Amino acid sequence: MTSVSLSSFDLAVPTEEHKMLRDQVRAFARDEVEPQALEHDRHERFNRRLFEKVGELGLLGVTVTEKDGGAGMDATAAVIVHEELSACDPGFALAYLAHSMLCVNNLAVNATDEQKRRWLPKLLTGEAIGAMGMSEPAVGTDVLGLRTTAKKDGDHWVVNGRKMWITNGAVDDERTPCDVMLFYARTGGSDARPEITSFVVQRGTPGFGVGQKIHDKAGMRGSNTAEMVLEDARVPADNLVGEQGGAIKCMMRNLALERVTLAAMSLGIARRSIEVMVSYANDRKAFGKPLNEFGQIQRHIAESYAEYMACRAYVYDTARRMPLDAYGNRLDSDGVKLVASTMGKVVADRAMQVLGGYGYVGEYVVERLWRDAKLLEIGGGTIEAHQKNMTRDLTRGPFPWA
Amino acid sequence: MKFLVTVKRVTDYEAKIKLKADKSGIVTDGVNMIMNPFDEIGVEEALRQREKHGGEVVIVSIGTSDSTDKIRSALAMGADRGILVKHDGPLDSFAVARVLAKIVDKEKPDVVLMGKQAIDDDSNQAAQMLAELLGWGQATFANIVTLEGGRATVVREADGGLETVSTTLPAVVTTDLRLNEPRYAALPGIMKAKKKPLEEVEIGSLGVDIAAKVKTIAYEEPPAKKAGQKVADVASLVTRLKTEAKVI
Ligand SMILES: Cc1cc2nc3c(=O)[nH]c(=O)nc-3n(C[C@H](O)[C@H](O)[C@H](O)COP(=O)(O)OP(=O)(O)OC[C@H]3O[C@@H](n4cnc5c(N)ncnc54)[C@H](O)[C@@H]3O)c2cc1C
Repeated sequence: MTSVSLSSFDLAVPTEEHKMLRDQVRAFARDEVEPQALEHDRHERFNRRLFEKVGELGLLGVTVTEKDGGAGMDATAAVIVHEELSACDPGFALAYLAHSMLCVNNLAVNATDEQKRRWLPKLLTGEAIGAMGMSEPAVGTDVLGLRTTAKKDGDHWVVNGRKMWITNGAVDDERTPCDVMLFYARTGGSDARPEITSFVVQRGTPGFGVGQKIHDKAGMRGSNTAEMVLEDARVPADNLVGEQGGAIKCMMRNLALERVTLAAMSLGIARRSIEVMVSYANDRKAFGKPLNEFGQIQRHIAESYAEYMACRAYVYDTARRMPLDAYGNRLDSDGVKLVASTMGKVVADRAMQVLGGYGYVGEYVVERLWRDAKLLEIGGGTIEAHQKNMTRDLTRGPFPWA
Repeated sequence: MKFLVTVKRVTDYEAKIKLKADKSGIVTDGVNMIMNPFDEIGVEEALRQREKHGGEVVIVSIGTSDSTDKIRSALAMGADRGILVKHDGPLDSFAVARVLAKIVDKEKPDVVLMGKQAIDDDSNQAAQMLAELLGWGQATFANIVTLEGGRATVVREADGGLETVSTTLPAVVTTDLRLNEPRYAALPGIMKAKKKPLEEVEIGSLGVDIAAKVKTIAYEEPPAKKAGQKVADVASLVTRLKTEAKVI
């Protein structure tokens, strides 16, 4: 028998460490992240200084083993950090996710010790900014169709291609590229069976730069998004991560964690939206009584809460079962992102509805969350992609409950 | 130098406080509990003084095992070890002071750092009583603490300004809001906290009289605030401050 008491076990804070982590990140988010969110959203600016503070707290390496300089925590801890940051500033949380999950955790799992010694220390303090480049101008969902190529030339790889929508790709408005970009390129094979390999390219590599910083995003404006250019970029052979042709394996190892943390961002958005709408519906009066006495408003509140709690249980339960260095459970990591992303969007929308005209302006927070929420249905896999993957897995079986 | 810092688990200042039906206290079920913010400032001050002078920071809390997580939070911030004096139920300030005096006898710290008050009952008494029981100097409401040459020099927040007092060590110092800004516990600190020693002591084993000297009869809500009034101009404000509020 286990020593865990079922009635006191809390999925969202299973241990004392998780509880402390949540308390600390929540306090940090309230005191430091919240006050800058609206301003950085307005100006489409990434808060570099704040990011370094996150580094000082040790959060950039939440899932990295202690041996590699991280905190050695689990997927649940990563979910906690994303939920808490996102409750205040999803845009900033997305920059955190691209750095810590898409880049740092991937390297921590797939890179050699020598490579980790070269890249991780500065990525863990926030002195260096990391990004991950998979999508391209002409391919997103259809990853295997990527066009970027890498050809071996002596002890270098010559890379040509473009990467699109890269979070953290640019670190400012002056087209300064990130310090480290983990990216995927084709190194051979046929169109039907392309050989895909992952590499790291560093700032300063000739031929590597920012094509454009993407402006006018609907939301997630506290994170920079950029098109990255690789033009005869000479990447040293020892920047190849994993094995030649082994990128899909590396990618799959990281994918489950990426998706469950993206889902966690939707949890943060929903939780905050619920707090805002409940308190507003209590304070605001119409026809001589508080809004929360109207049935239609009660429906917004109650359904939001119930849907949030259902997703929360699914997300934390999936995180709890997730290994960090092996293939995750794809069915459920697709599943949590599928339901949580739409739930976050719908709940933010209901919050805006409850606030009426006030909900439609930035000062009342939900307007920003509402814009940010939509991205989670697109980035890190569209909801249609999740539906496709899940149906395939369910068809192949066995059912998880079998 | 050795620092003993007291930590009390209290209701969150952001929580909505409700009274128990029988008015014997406040409802704590489902209410978020935090480390008394003034104690957090005490922990921070001890850590900073330790950075300057070296030594050890020991955390002590009196309460049920629920208080363990607040001790661990202090350990995660960087304190060295903790002591939980196990007790369930209310204690008045004098009982707290007597229990702490016993712990001080055992630990022999150079400085006891305490919050100026706990934000739940706001008594602001335990530190003063402890200093008296120990026969030590005390400096309350600290704004700046300097430890040098066997003395504590403390700039304290007094009514209407700042006052500097000095006392020999060992001494009891209580923290005010502006003494410092407590750090967040960094993740590596959180991971280390669990491995740091945390000793549990049954309150009964200390041989201290903890019988209440203060009896609580009932808790009551503060009177509801009356709605504010708008005045047309400064002149009518002055008139009403004179005639109605009678404050000038
Ligand atoms: C703000 C932002 C940040 C991003 N950050 C990153 C990043 O850091 N790194 C990175 O690599 N990428 C990033 N992306 C890219 C993101 O992952 C892609 O946008 C996403 O995978 C979808 O690809 P796409 O935009 O090319 O759309 P497409 O793949 O062209 O899809 C268009 C539409 O067709 C649907 N569709 C496509 N294929 C199918 C199918 N087989 N069945 C059913 N429907 C289908 C899609 O669901 C979608 O509705 C980011 C995107 C945004 C907007």
